[in-house]
Amino acid sequence: MASHKESIIREPLVTGKDITYAKVTDDVLFPVENKPNKAWWIGFTVASLGACLWVFAVSWTFWYGIGSWGLNKTVGWAWDITGFVWWVGIGHAGTLISAVLLLFRQKWRNSINRSAEAMTIFAVICAATYVVSHMGRPWMALYCLPLPNQYGSLWVNFNSPLIWDVFAISTYFSVSLVFWYTGLLPDIATIRDRGTGWYRRIYSVLSFGWTGSVKTWQRFETVSLILAGISTPLVLSVHTIVSMDFATSLEPGWHTTIFPPYFVAGAIFSGFAMVQTLLLVTRKVLGLENYITMFHIESMNKIILVTGSVVGVAYITEFFIAYYSGGEYEQYTFLNRFIGPYWWAACMMYGCNVLMTQVMWFKKVRTNIAMSWVLSIIVNIGMWFERFVIIVTSLHRDYIPSSWAMFYPTWIDVSVFIGSIGVFFTLFLLFIRVLPAIAMAEVKLLLKEQSEHGKRKQIEEGHLDPSQVEFYKENLIKFDSVDVSEYENA
Amino acid sequence: MDSNKKYWKGLEELNNTPEFVEKNKHEFAEPIPIEDVLSGDGLLGKTPRRDFLKAVGFGVGAVTLAACQKVPVHKSIPYLIKPEEITPGVANYYSSTYEGHAILVKTREGRPIKIEGNPNDVLAKGGLSAQAQASVLDLYDVNRVKAPVQGTSELEWSDLDDYVKLELAKLKDSGKKIRIVSSSIHSPSTLAVIADFITEFPAAKHVSYDAVSYTGIIQANQNSFGKAVLPHYNFDKADVIVSFGADFLGSWISPVEFTAQYVKNRNNKSLQSKKMSRHIQFETGMSLAGTNADVRIPLKPSEEGIALINLYNAITGATLPGSKKLSDNATNNAITIAAKELQAAKGKALVVAGSNDVATQVLVNAINAALGSYGTTIDLDNNSNQYNGNDADLVEFIGEAKRGEVGAVLFLNANPVYDYYNTKELTDALSKVPLKVSFADHIDETAAICNVVAPNHHYLESWGDDNAIAGYYTILQPTINPVYNTRQAEESLLIWSNNPVKVYYTYVRNNWDKGILAQGGLSGQKGWETLLQTGFISAAAKNGGSYAFSRDLNAVAQTILTQSTQLAASGDKKLELHLYQTVAMRDGKRANNPWLQELPDPVSKVTWDNFAALSLTDLKKLNLQEGDVITVDVNGSSIALPVLLQPGQAEGTLSVAVGYGRTKGGAVIESGVGKNAFPLHSFRNGTLQTTGVAAISATGDSIVLAQTQTHHSYEGRSVIREASFTEYKKNPYKNSGKDGAHKDYKSLWEDYSDTEYKTTAYNWVMAIDLNACTGCGACVVACNAENNVPVVGRDEVRRRREMHWIRIDRYYSFNEKGESITEEHEIDKLTNLNNVSVVHQPMLCQHCDHAPCETVCPVLATVHSSEGLNHMAYNRCVGTRYCANNCPYKVRRFNWFNYWNDSRFDNYLSNEHTQLVLNPDVTTRFRGVMEKCSMCVQRIQAGKLKAKIEKRPVKDGDIKVACQQTCPANAIVFGNGNDPDSEVSKALRSERTYYVLEELNVQPGIGYQVKVRNTTELEA
Repeated sequence: MASHKESIIREPLVTGKDITYAKVTDDVLFPVENKPNKAWWIGFTVASLGACLWVFAVSWTFWYGIGSWGLNKTVGWAWDITGFVWWVGIGHAGTLISAVLLLFRQKWRNSINRSAEAMTIFAVICAATYVVSHMGRPWMALYCLPLPNQYGSLWVNFNSPLIWDVFAISTYFSVSLVFWYTGLLPDIATIRDRGTGWYRRIYSVLSFGWTGSVKTWQRFETVSLILAGISTPLVLSVHTIVSMDFATSLEPGWHTTIFPPYFVAGAIFSGFAMVQTLLLVTRKVLGLENYITMFHIESMNKIILVTGSVVGVAYITEFFIAYYSGGEYEQYTFLNRFIGPYWWAACMMYGCNVLMTQVMWFKKVRTNIAMSWVLSIIVNIGMWFERFVIIVTSLHRDYIPSSWAMFYPTWIDVSVFIGSIGVFFTLFLLFIRVLPAIAMAEVKLLLKEQSEHGKRKQIEEGHLDPSQVEFYKENLIKFDSVDVSEYENA
Repeated sequence: MDSNKKYWKGLEELNNTPEFVEKNKHEFAEPIPIEDVLSGDGLLGKTPRRDFLKAVGFGVGAVTLAACQKVPVHKSIPYLIKPEEITPGVANYYSSTYEGHAILVKTREGRPIKIEGNPNDVLAKGGLSAQAQASVLDLYDVNRVKAPVQGTSELEWSDLDDYVKLELAKLKDSGKKIRIVSSSIHSPSTLAVIADFITEFPAAKHVSYDAVSYTGIIQANQNSFGKAVLPHYNFDKADVIVSFGADFLGSWISPVEFTAQYVKNRNNKSLQSKKMSRHIQFETGMSLAGTNADVRIPLKPSEEGIALINLYNAITGATLPGSKKLSDNATNNAITIAAKELQAAKGKALVVAGSNDVATQVLVNAINAALGSYGTTIDLDNNSNQYNGNDADLVEFIGEAKRGEVGAVLFLNANPVYDYYNTKELTDALSKVPLKVSFADHIDETAAICNVVAPNHHYLESWGDDNAIAGYYTILQPTINPVYNTRQAEESLLIWSNNPVKVYYTYVRNNWDKGILAQGGLSGQKGWETLLQTGFISAAAKNGGSYAFSRDLNAVAQTILTQSTQLAASGDKKLELHLYQTVAMRDGKRANNPWLQELPDPVSKVTWDNFAALSLTDLKKLNLQEGDVITVDVNGSSIALPVLLQPGQAEGTLSVAVGYGRTKGGAVIESGVGKNAFPLHSFRNGTLQTTGVAAISATGDSIVLAQTQTHHSYEGRSVIREASFTEYKKNPYKNSGKDGAHKDYKSLWEDYSDTEYKTTAYNWVMAIDLNACTGCGACVVACNAENNVPVVGRDEVRRRREMHWIRIDRYYSFNEKGESITEEHEIDKLTNLNNVSVVHQPMLCQHCDHAPCETVCPVLATVHSSEGLNHMAYNRCVGTRYCANNCPYKVRRFNWFNYWNDSRFDNYLSNEHTQLVLNPDVTTRFRGVMEKCSMCVQRIQAGKLKAKIEKRPVKDGDIKVACQQTCPANAIVFGNGNDPDSEVSKALRSERTYYVLEELNVQPGIGYQVKVRNTTELEA
């Protein structure tokens, strides 16, 4: 990586006093190498109770049948596919951060990519559980794979978007997993090197024999770049294909050509919101404020604002096209979002996703941690309602009015959804206990370029324009984690 | 070679160490722990690696061998001596009779599994009601009485006979009266058995009454013409039909027959000859006939008599007293129009009234006589025997019993404890009768208080005959050995009356040999065998004479007026009550039948409950919401019912269905279905009347009615297309879009159908005539029976999960100021819902050529056949439900639970016994798979196979699907679309044909024909 000195007017990506490579390692590995604190235990207990609820609710469903959910003859999908699309969408931020931002050399991604990728994998796991559990006969799920069989030439239906889904999701999951794990190798090797006993042996196996030689590093960089290249189209393809579950159908409200870009934007939108939700808490609990700084938070908020507005434009387009098409069924479907019995769901959707995120135009909001967190939750809720509105509100009143019906969730529906959140957090909390939540090796790269010491020295030597020094100091002050007095003498 | 070469294995052998020598002494290098094993220590020892491998090897081998054992086998026992006529897998059909209709009973391997109308049936030409279709399930009902019962214990028939005979003999001496209480009997042999019984016991008398009575008509005919009979109505001969509350298409006298007659003047054939009858209905609640009427006018019970007087005066120019303007101007206009039209159609006009009031019916007779209806649309000479009960007889019997004059009562096909309006009076009276015998096949309300229950056969187990209308004799023959230890009631009567003939079969034969057979030109054994095959004989009909009405009507009018005054509900929270029968439940005799309970009411679409139907005005006035429970109090009898908003309900009235609220007689009944409305009847002017004044009060409770349809307007969508008859005459294409108003839709895709079945022999398609369909729902039950469709119960229907493969969509639209209002937001603005039009649309899988369900199924579980059918492969289905979501018609049904093996759904599929009704040609479906109409693919295959064996192509009409077969209106035509001469091709070529949602270009295989209403443009 570049070895030049960074300009003082660049906002620092890692803050804190006397940051050294060793300190980075110590800070990041603190939760991995020590007993978990109280906060972790509380979180883990709650999350694993949620996971148990999921096991219970899904077992109940498998035992009694899908009838234990609130679906009916008219509304064949509701909380299940809503949850599925929601989780797949959340999974998008990880790949975007790790692959696309890598290709665009957005170095600030280095501090957050690890957690975001882990989140991706866990979210895709949650989505995949929905794929199986929503089936009437989940034990026959293998029929969805193009396996050789004894039924003559009986293959899967390659015309069906659900089959595209199977390929899309499984490809996405495996590539994300490989990318994530490749990135983890040097960090696992660090843990191995610092550990002893069985602990060392486990991480030794997990590190795949990382030696840290120049050749290894070189290959590591190459592989990362290649995987980034492979992953980048996936960011677009996965949610495009998920959107085709709807777009290729005949349902008014689903049959919409704008769905692929609209869904991708929505996915990135919700993915970043979830990263924000998680990291704002994680950095506090694990004491990683120096690595996930206000700069990161604000950057992510900007992305949320942009994608949220893209989604807003898509919403408006949908309404315009419904009006312009002259199709009476489509017109009714979109009118029904507001005047029908599910008007409140549409209000949640448009309100949370478009109206609420507009406050992020204000820098004060973008750089306010509490507000960022609340807004990220609002976006998560809004995006859930987006899928609910698309699925349930479209289905419940389609072509033949005699079949119009309402959907009422049962406690099993709710439990499966809450449970899947429990599964997600259980996995995430386990992850931050056993693996470094921040990509140490990549953060260390930043240190070298950033050279906090160099900048301070330059200031001391008075080579710099005082206004630039002022700007630099201002940047430091806004970091909630850094004591300004540390820089007073600068 | 050198021979002193030494080969050694291992250094030990070369060096010949002492250890090696020691070890080599034994066969095995290591000692075998035999001692340890024998002493038991071996089991405690450390398992060496080899032992582990041995154990694994043995274990795996043993498990493999054990797994080679056969899975449990359910043995089916083959016929030891195979009956000649039974080939496993091939159905046999036997002719029999259901309530006077000639039917065919389909049996498989000795089990009756389906009832089909006999195509030659004089009454309905092969059509059957929902009740008839459902009756086969009752045969296997596990709640039937399985053996004779005395008190609470079962006993042998001989013991029972001894007891009853002894008791009857005692009565003979004491001179006490014996009464046989039955519902109307129209079987000549049964009547002869009863007559013989009365000869043996002169103190005996036959009391005939009906739960839903027609005494009013019978008495009126006696008064007017001296003939105490129910006439035979000919709706097919009527150009103008005016009905005052008679639901002749749903429940009045002989609805299936009347449907067939009625549709004759309204179906495609009739329309093409530019002929369509005109039907005006005045009624309180919305009936099935009302939904089909061209003009329907809501009318309060208290105004019905006045309306008839006005009509009479308008037709004859007479001035009967009591004529006055009615409160609603539309009603007055309608009566003027009706009078004008009736007069214009003299001799081809028919006025019917549903009232059971003698005076009202006398007035109706006078109107009909004035219109010259007798001899044309009404036939008094070839009368109907379907109902002959007399309410006064039952009342008289109760009086006798109360006075302790009755020594024995025998209940034959009667359940007065349930359906008599004054239960307390009846039970008190019965408690004074020492011997009470019931022939009921269930322990119903009456059987429960009887000393003896001598369970009757199900009709499919019985011999017998029937004579529904004069000259039309049908035969009943058993199609299965009695399922339980039951005995035919007639046989019991024969035995108890010491009849020389003890076997009812012989009795029936003798009875037919005596004269009935000869009427059909048959005789002897051969004649009898012919009869068993044809199922009926039809004697030449007498000429229906015309009858003149010559009585003075002033007294009649006075009686009507007095009643009207009594009925007029005045005061707060009082409404005029109107009791009616639903198509599914009728009088409640078949209430234990889950198919019927789950059959949606054709009008309200409510299942599993009855309700109080109120108008919007009254709901608002009483500040009630739909589902609120109210108590309805009539003369001290009160029941609590949920409220339903019924468009078209006359303001100031409420309608309640009878037939619900049974309390005894089976698991379905005892699960609590509705409330009994029979106690709300009142006895006035010598008859039981269905009207009264009800006091209403809200209980504060609220429930959700289990409706299969909750949105009632069609939102102006082209799903439903209607035209008025005037428009149709001008332009037969009106509103069908077939004349080019709707364009041909181009497909993006290559039309594979062109290359596939368009060139094969068959393309199975269907045509449904919306103008013929009355919405009766018989097809729904027929489909249930044919295709093993699960019953899901009230709660699941509430969750909108009924499984019916065919449903009938019912839409309301409203006519205000000459405009048709179909959209919800406009309907919400209406202040009243009086001017309602109704349309029924049977909806089932459309078997689209571009089926949206097929492309989205991930596993190819639903695919297109080369004959144009959309198939379901249940075994392949994984249950993603995507197909159902993508179906624009929403006809796919998902198995939410394991309906055939889940204790929560024990209505019929899960019971080992009732499973015998299942059609073996159709698999039952596991939970988690999708199902839907298959166009009775099993019937298509059977028809093709038959044609193949006979080396010929399938002829048109060979294959009839279940819904089509039972339809009394012939609204459904199925057949080969590739044959231009087939009935279905002809029907689809009709100018009225349109396809539902054709603009989606899914190319549905079912064409609908535009609904035509015979309304003037002004009324439309």
